[in-house]
Amino acid sequence: MSRTVLICDDALFMRMMVADILRQAGFEVVGEAETGVQAVEKYRSLRPDLVTMDIVMPDMGGIDAVREIVSQDPSARVLMCSAMGQQALVVEAIKAGARDFIVKPFQPSRVIEAVNRVLAA
Amino acid sequence: MKPSTACLQPDRYGELYRVETSEHLAIIDASLLKLEQQDTRYDLGDCIATIFRSAHTIKGMAAAMGFRPAENVAHAMESLLEAVRAETVQVSPHVLDLLFDGSAMLASCITENQHDLHQSKSEAIRELQRKIDVAIAGTIDVATPGTIDIAAAGTIKVATALTSDESVSKPTHQVVVRLTEDCPLKGVRAILVLARIEQLGSVLTLEPSSDAMQQNEFDGVFTILINSGAGEAHLEQAILAAGDVKSVAVSKPATAGRTYDRKESIRHVRIDVRRLDVMLDLVSELAITRDRLVDMIAAQDGKEIGRDLGRVSLDASRLVTALQVEIAQARMVPVASVFDRYPRLVRDIARDLGKEVHFALEGREIEIDRSLLDAIGDPILHLLRNALDHGLEEAASRIAACKPAAGRLVLRARRDRSAIVIEVEDDGRGIDRAKVAERARARGIISDQSIPDDSRLLDILSHPGFSTANSVGALSGRGVGVDVVASSVNTMGGTFALRTTPGAGSVFTLRLPASIAMMRALLVQVDDETYALPAEKVVEIAADDDSSIRAARSSGSIELRGELIHVRSLRHEFGLSDHEGENHYAIVEVGGQRLALAVDSISAHKDIVVKNLDTVRGSARWFSGATILGDGKPALIVDPRSLI
Repeated sequence: MSRTVLICDDALFMRMMVADILRQAGFEVVGEAETGVQAVEKYRSLRPDLVTMDIVMPDMGGIDAVREIVSQDPSARVLMCSAMGQQALVVEAIKAGARDFIVKPFQPSRVIEAVNRVLAA
Repeated sequence: MKPSTACLQPDRYGELYRVETSEHLAIIDASLLKLEQQDTRYDLGDCIATIFRSAHTIKGMAAAMGFRPAENVAHAMESLLEAVRAETVQVSPHVLDLLFDGSAMLASCITENQHDLHQSKSEAIRELQRKIDVAIAGTIDVATPGTIDIAAAGTIKVATALTSDESVSKPTHQVVVRLTEDCPLKGVRAILVLARIEQLGSVLTLEPSSDAMQQNEFDGVFTILINSGAGEAHLEQAILAAGDVKSVAVSKPATAGRTYDRKESIRHVRIDVRRLDVMLDLVSELAITRDRLVDMIAAQDGKEIGRDLGRVSLDASRLVTALQVEIAQARMVPVASVFDRYPRLVRDIARDLGKEVHFALEGREIEIDRSLLDAIGDPILHLLRNALDHGLEEAASRIAACKPAAGRLVLRARRDRSAIVIEVEDDGRGIDRAKVAERARARGIISDQSIPDDSRLLDILSHPGFSTANSVGALSGRGVGVDVVASSVNTMGGTFALRTTPGAGSVFTLRLPASIAMMRALLVQVDDETYALPAEKVVEIAADDDSSIRAARSSGSIELRGELIHVRSLRHEFGLSDHEGENHYAIVEVGGQRLALAVDSISAHKDIVVKNLDTVRGSARWFSGATILGDGKPALIVDPRSLI
C-alpha cells in the first residue's frame, strides 16, 4: 500500500508542486491544508504517514502546527518545507518535533530523499 | 541557482504562479493601505505578519520558477518587514512607500516576460534593494541586512525517548561527521544528525558547539564523543540516514518504519475554468436534447409507450436541471478577486490627483460568473477613475461645502434576484446637467433645450462623440470612458444606470446577469421564423382575443387592464410589409418602459444556450445573440432594448 501524505502550504502553487513530486514517486496525497489550523484538523482526521509543513502560514504557523500535531500523536512524521534564510525557524520546528526539512526551491530528488528518510526512521 | 523543477514545466506552473502571486499582491496592498490609513481596527502586528507571509510566499514561488528579479524584490521586502517586526525599524510613510514600490515592482515582474526582465528591471530592483538596505541600516548597526535568520539556537533537547537501557555502562565512540558540500542549512542538518545519535546513546562532547553550528561559518564537519551500546556499523548507519551526510568516521541498519491505515478523506480539487466552460456547454446541449425528448414524448401521449417514456424523461429532466445548476454554481467566484485590486489603484490615483479619499468595498463575497468577472474589471476601473478625477472635489472645496475633507468612494456588489448589481458611489459634486446638456448641444448630440434627467444624462455621457470631448473646466473629461463602460455592460447583457445629485454625489449602477451562458427565453413566431425573447424582460403575454385587452391597433397601442401600451410590430421592424398574422403580444419591460411586441404566436418557454453573434457593427441591432432550438434550427435572440 502506498504511503499517505498530507501537504500543508498556504500557496496552491507549492502544494501542487510537492504533490506532483510525491505522486510521481508513488505516494498518495490524501489531503492538503492551507493553514496551520487546517493542518492540525486534517492530521487528526486523516492520520497520514507523513506531513509536509510550510513554516510560514496564516492562522497558526507551521511550527505551532507541528507542536500541536506532535502533542496529539508523538509518532507523527512531519517534514518541514523552508526557504533559504529560515535556519532559526527550522531549528525551532525541529525542537517542536519535526523530523526533517527540505529547502525551497524544491528539487524532486531531494524531496524524495527527505521523505524516505523520515518514513524510514 | 540550481535548476528548479518548475522551469522544466513552465506552462504547467506559470499561470498558477501568476494568479497566486497576484492574489498575494492584493493581500499585501490591502494590508499596506490599512497601515497607511492607521486604521485602528487592525492590529499593526497582524498587518505586518500578513504582509510578511504573502511576501514570503511570493518569494518561494518566484524561487521555484527561477525568477530571480521577483525573488530578490520579495526577499528585500521580507528583510524590511523583519526589521519592522523586530522593532528596529518603525513603520513610517517612507517604509510604507518602499513596500508599496516593492509590491508594484512584483506586479510588473509577473506581467512581463520573466526572462527579458533582467535588463529592464534590474536597475530599478537594485535601487529598491539599496533603499531598503538603507532603511534597515539607518536605524540599526547590523552589517547583514537581508537575512532574517541566525538566532542563537541553544542546545537541542530531543524529545524522543532513549531506546537502550542506560544503566549498563557502554563503550565510548568518537564520531566525525562530514556533511555534503551542497547541504542546505548545515546547522539544522547537524541538529538532526545529533538527534539520531542521541537516540543511540549519550553525547559527551560536541565540537563545534551547537551554537557555533548555527553560524554561517559552520563548514559542515563536526566531532562527537558518545557513550553507546550500539555497534560502530549501527552508529554509522543511523548517522548516514539523517540525510546530507557525506561521510561518517565510525558504523548498523536503521529500524523499519510503521504504516498507518489509510483513511478515507474529503478532497477539494481546483478545476481549470476552461474545463468548466466545456462542461457547461455540454450540459446546455444536454438540456436542449432533453427538451427535444420531452417534445417527442409529448407527441406520443396517450399511448402505452408514451406513459413509460414520460416517467423516464421526467427523471432525466430533473437530473439534467440539477446538473446544470450545479455546474453553473461551480463557475461562480467572489467579486473579491477583482475588487481587491482597487484599493491600491484608488490610492495611487488619488495620490496623483492630490485628493483625499476613503475608499470602501462592500459585498466582496458576492459571487459572479467567472466569464463576467474578467469583463467587469475595466469598466469598474473607469468609473472609479472618473469618480476620483471628476466626482470628488479637492479638500478645500469640500470643506467650503461643509463636507469632510476626505471624499467617500464606495464600490459595492449586491444581489438582486437573479442579477448582480455593482455600484460605484461617490459623495462628490455630482454631475452638472446644464453643462453636460450645453456641451451635448454644441457637439450636436442633442438638439432640444431641456435639462436632461438621470437616464438621458447617462445616454449623453455614453455617447462616443461626447466622451472624446477634451475640454477645460470642472467638467473636463467627464464622460471619458463612460461610453466604454456602457458598451461593455451591453455586451454582458446587463444594464447601466446613473443617479446624480448636484453637490451630493453620483452613483453609477451596473446590473448584470449572475450567469450568462444559459438564458430562460420565450419563443415567438414571426412569419414562420422562431425568435427568442429573454424571459427576464417579458412581464406578460397577451392575445387579441383575450378579454383583458382592448386592442386599438390603429392608434399603435393596446389597452391592457386600463394601461395603454405602445405596440411595436416585429414584422414591421424586420421589414415585412404584411402584418396579417400578428395577434399576440409579448409585453417587455426595459428600464421601466413597457412595450408590446406584436408577433404571430407565442410558442414556448425554454432554456436556451446563448451564442454570441460576431457580426459587423450595426448589422444586427435587434439581436443580442443566437441559439440552437430543440429541433436543431437556429433562432435569433431579440434584444428588447433595441426596440424601446
